[in-house]
Amino acid sequence: MAKVDLTTKIGTLIFKNPVTVASGTFGSKDEYARYLNYERLGAIVTKTVTPKPRKGNQMPRIFETPSGMLNSIGLQNKGIDDFIENKIPYFKKIKTHLIVNIAGESIEDFVALAKKLDREKSVSALELNISCPNVKKGLEFCAKPELTYEVVKAVKDTTKLPFFTKLSPEAHDFLGVAEAAIKAGSDALSLINTIRGMAVDVEKCRPQLANVFGGLSGPAIRPIALRYLHEVKCEFDIPVMAMGGIMTAQDALEFLIAGAHLIAVGTANFVNPKATMEILGGIEGYMKRKGYASVNEVRGSLRIKEASEDRSVPAG
Amino acid sequence: MYDESVTIIENKKVNAEYYKLVFASKHLSQKVKPGQFLNIQMENHEGLLLRRPFSYYRVGGKKIEILYEILGRGTALLAEKRRGHALKALGPLGKPFTQKLNGKKRILVAGGVGVPPLIFLAETAPHLTSPRESRGREKEGLVLLIGCKSKSEVLPRRELTKVKGEILYSTNDGSYGRKGFVTVLLHELLENEHPNSLFIQTCGPNAMMDAVMKLAEEFGVEGEASIDERMACGVGACLGCVVETREGFKTSCVEGPVFSFAELV
Repeated sequence: MAKVDLTTKIGTLIFKNPVTVASGTFGSKDEYARYLNYERLGAIVTKTVTPKPRKGNQMPRIFETPSGMLNSIGLQNKGIDDFIENKIPYFKKIKTHLIVNIAGESIEDFVALAKKLDREKSVSALELNISCPNVKKGLEFCAKPELTYEVVKAVKDTTKLPFFTKLSPEAHDFLGVAEAAIKAGSDALSLINTIRGMAVDVEKCRPQLANVFGGLSGPAIRPIALRYLHEVKCEFDIPVMAMGGIMTAQDALEFLIAGAHLIAVGTANFVNPKATMEILGGIEGYMKRKGYASVNEVRGSLRIKEASEDRSVPAG
Repeated sequence: MYDESVTIIENKKVNAEYYKLVFASKHLSQKVKPGQFLNIQMENHEGLLLRRPFSYYRVGGKKIEILYEILGRGTALLAEKRRGHALKALGPLGKPFTQKLNGKKRILVAGGVGVPPLIFLAETAPHLTSPRESRGREKEGLVLLIGCKSKSEVLPRRELTKVKGEILYSTNDGSYGRKGFVTVLLHELLENEHPNSLFIQTCGPNAMMDAVMKLAEEFGVEGEASIDERMACGVGACLGCVVETREGFKTSCVEGPVFSFAELV
């Protein structure tokens, strides 16, 4: 049988397939290299890098909850200079796109990060993390559309690199924030970041996380992620990197059918280091079985009943 | 490092505290050193999302033994598994205990989940001197101190026959061995030997290890501790299991779980 075409385009970027990884779940360098060939991924998204080194939050940082996990790592990383010196060179010879996730506490921080990464040939794109629930000011730029517009515009004016803006479902005016990011020049959106949650140790009467709150990820948030993707795709013509509890090819297909350009595997990497490869294989299998030649035929193939059809269902 | 499906050969209760899991794997049993661990997936992710880390207890040929306690949802689920059930195991992971101690006497201090890896170490550790010289003197080179709550936790004798040294127990309620915490035994030992001739290796509850490290510092004895934190990936990616060291946070899955006392804050 003929090979299926998984090529995915976002602006000038051509991805060999739509499977990538969610920032923070795949390390910053070669953490998973012994388990899979990085070149088989459509792109690699690295853990958030900040202007200065960040120690991260106190322990305990993680806790498993029903079909999910809470994390409050707190953007632990060695800072942009270490990243450029010690992490980026590793990707030089790896033939796939490198997307660097960045976060700062001010517009100046984002601009400084973008400026430094703009000079790096191995970097294909950026992902602006304006939605980390685990650090002070982490969600600030996602709080109001005006703030989102300002930071996205400032980055757009700084770099020629295409970029994704990663949004939180906790933004009060989610569609307003999405619209602001698009208007300010974001080439694509990443949906969704984790959702703040909490768990309690009833024996010790203490929160399970030292930080009290943590970001919930995993299958528990998948329906929510899917809903946000659908809402955005109904409203705007913008490519989306979708993430939120994608564990299997079937999960990934839900997001592709709902219109995602890329699907990012996150928490699943922790459970199965080869999850991305199994998902990629599963998408190919589905396309062959359904007779699709290109992933573009799968993308956005969601069929929603017209209102008139709905009326045929007896009420009550 | 391998990620393999394995079939349970045996999974049964050993005493009031411990269960023993046995399975075979050619790859997961290769070049394993005491202190290393496996990250085990009990179910499809719909049952339990994350894997759980378990120290190697014993490796013989392809056969791997794990000794575990029921501590939460994951281990409770594991205890229900029977012969023939499948698990997925990723390993061997982590940095092991130091094997060669350059003639120093090995003092192993164990409690709870720390007992299995230290028995493994006590069974396989290199002798104090060359095997020929040490014949008949094996007991001199190693002491294993085990702290329990009560006699019901004490492992059956058959589990300890291969330990190359003396084994001393303490129980909180005095129902077996010395009454009190395991540090009572350690204190006596440290008082009677030259600190430079000793090396402590410890694994167990954090409070126990803290007390052990405090004593070690007081007496000027070097050593290392195996720290276990809640863990997700096991490969150094999630940064969920970090440990505070003098050089900042380090991952217990890749840079540990064994850290020298000097490294730990």
